[in-house]
Amino acid sequence: MARLYTNDLSIGYGEQLIVKELSIKIPDKKITTIIGSNGCGKSTLLKAITRIIAPQSGTVILDGENISKENTKLLAKKMAILPQTPESASGLTVGELVSYGRFPYQNGFGRLTKRDYEAIDWALEVTGTIDYKYRPVDALSGGQRQRVWIAMAVAQETDIIFLDEPTTYLDMAHQLEVLELLQRLNTEQGRTVVMVLHDLNQAARFADYIIALKDGEIVKAGNCEEVIHYDVLKKVFHIDAEIGRDPRTNKPMCVTYNLIKGE
Amino acid sequence: MIQPALLKKQRITLAVLLALIVTTSLIGLGTGYSSLSFDRLIPTLFGQGTFKEEFVLFSVRLPRLVVTLLAGMALALSGAILQGITRNDLADPGIIGINSGAGVGIAIFFLFFPVQAGSLLYFLPLVAFISALFTACLIYLLSFNKSSGLQPVRLMLVGVGFSMALSGVMIVLISSAERAKVDFIAKWIAGNIWGTDWPFVWAILPWLVVLIPFALYKAHTLNLLSLHEPVAIGLGLSIEKERVVLLLTAVALAASAVSVTGGVAFIGLMAPHIAKALVGPRNQLALPVALFMGGWLLLIADTIGRNLLGPDGIPAGIVVALIGAPYFIRLLLKK
Repeated sequence: MARLYTNDLSIGYGEQLIVKELSIKIPDKKITTIIGSNGCGKSTLLKAITRIIAPQSGTVILDGENISKENTKLLAKKMAILPQTPESASGLTVGELVSYGRFPYQNGFGRLTKRDYEAIDWALEVTGTIDYKYRPVDALSGGQRQRVWIAMAVAQETDIIFLDEPTTYLDMAHQLEVLELLQRLNTEQGRTVVMVLHDLNQAARFADYIIALKDGEIVKAGNCEEVIHYDVLKKVFHIDAEIGRDPRTNKPMCVTYNLIKGE
Repeated sequence: MIQPALLKKQRITLAVLLALIVTTSLIGLGTGYSSLSFDRLIPTLFGQGTFKEEFVLFSVRLPRLVVTLLAGMALALSGAILQGITRNDLADPGIIGINSGAGVGIAIFFLFFPVQAGSLLYFLPLVAFISALFTACLIYLLSFNKSSGLQPVRLMLVGVGFSMALSGVMIVLISSAERAKVDFIAKWIAGNIWGTDWPFVWAILPWLVVLIPFALYKAHTLNLLSLHEPVAIGLGLSIEKERVVLLLTAVALAASAVSVTGGVAFIGLMAPHIAKALVGPRNQLALPVALFMGGWLLLIADTIGRNLLGPDGIPAGIVVALIGAPYFIRLLLKK
């Protein structure tokens, strides 16, 4: 039984529904990746699951409770969110920004306890950002900044971490760095990671469970063997894909592809 | 997590501001239309003065000084909160219709309720306060959206629109009024500190005693509200609730200030800005600095205005605007 699942979730802005009656389960202690073409509703789905937007109908259930009725601070102790390219917090040091991750555990004035300091240092340590602790966030490169935001989510000490396209705007090496960091958080600490990714091969390489969306509906959900498949990719992206094997990880990968013309 | 060096800088800034406030206060107490020389100041303060000296100090200058200081503080804090919740550096209590709302209230009351001068005087702050609050509530209701809640951008747009409309209403109202009444209202709009008696101090003080500690308590919440909205939600902040609570705090602070000073603009814009330029964006550090800065700015503006021209002087609001307008333009250019 998954801790987190949705029931007939419909989400939309105004009249138009972007996600239609979606029921998904997020496997515990696994890496789940949501893929799909632009505008298919993957970010919208992530926002609804993380209570950033309210669904039009349906529910998101975490530990048996409807999250829209749950105390938001309590939820923040269970799930952390890294939105797509958050604006940099101007004027703050890395340490301070990461300390914001302790907000769900604080009351009133926001004074940090010894326990908070430990959690912050530990988050800086695992994300490899401890060296920048006293540097201003604005002065960091894109890859460093992304790791700092992840550190903030880690300091929140939640079982589940959501990320919306955590690799956007990063170069190849930094993309891999971020994904490997998330993988470590999953394998070493047993955290559930749910993220939206654009790159199919990265999804195949890092995800245990992939949800492929088209027009707000599930085309296929399963492991990489099931989802990174000619028929699925044809339906989701409208592409004619050549599926091979990654010689190093032996995972399926899209070697090359063409657009499907006509129809 | 705040670095000790920064903390020290804030302490020093606060100490300097406090010294400036004390100095300006002493200068203010020793200057003015009636003569009370500086060397008589200290003896008079300790009850050694003549009857006239005591009257000038305790019944004329001291209450005015206290009211000015408190109002400046309230406006600054209100501006700091508004800039935080709207995530806009150009926010000011004026934009949520506080000044114009109170102005229309005062105009209507003054023009259409024939009351004798004595009782009227003590009733005005209440009228200003209520009409400011009423206007802010209207703006809030109109900018509230059922599905997306309170959107800061919408709040500002509705607020600016309201301010303009109400200014128009005010001109229509006073265009047909008697000369003497128009004079008072015009002065009120210009931000003339007129609540210069002890009862006004007692009227504004309770608000500040409650709301200043509350705002300082909410400093960290304001920090989080200045982040990207999804980030703040993810950290477990009840954005909707906090926005409403803080908005009400800002409205009450500004309304209590405006009720005794008239339409003073720019303090709420400038003070938080200068504070952040001095000690950085952390509200725990910036709010107290903004508080002192606001008090001092209005105090110095009133002291200058009082002594510049004739027996009546120039309204503090105009002196503030003379300093504030260039600052505002500089801010816009920097963006």
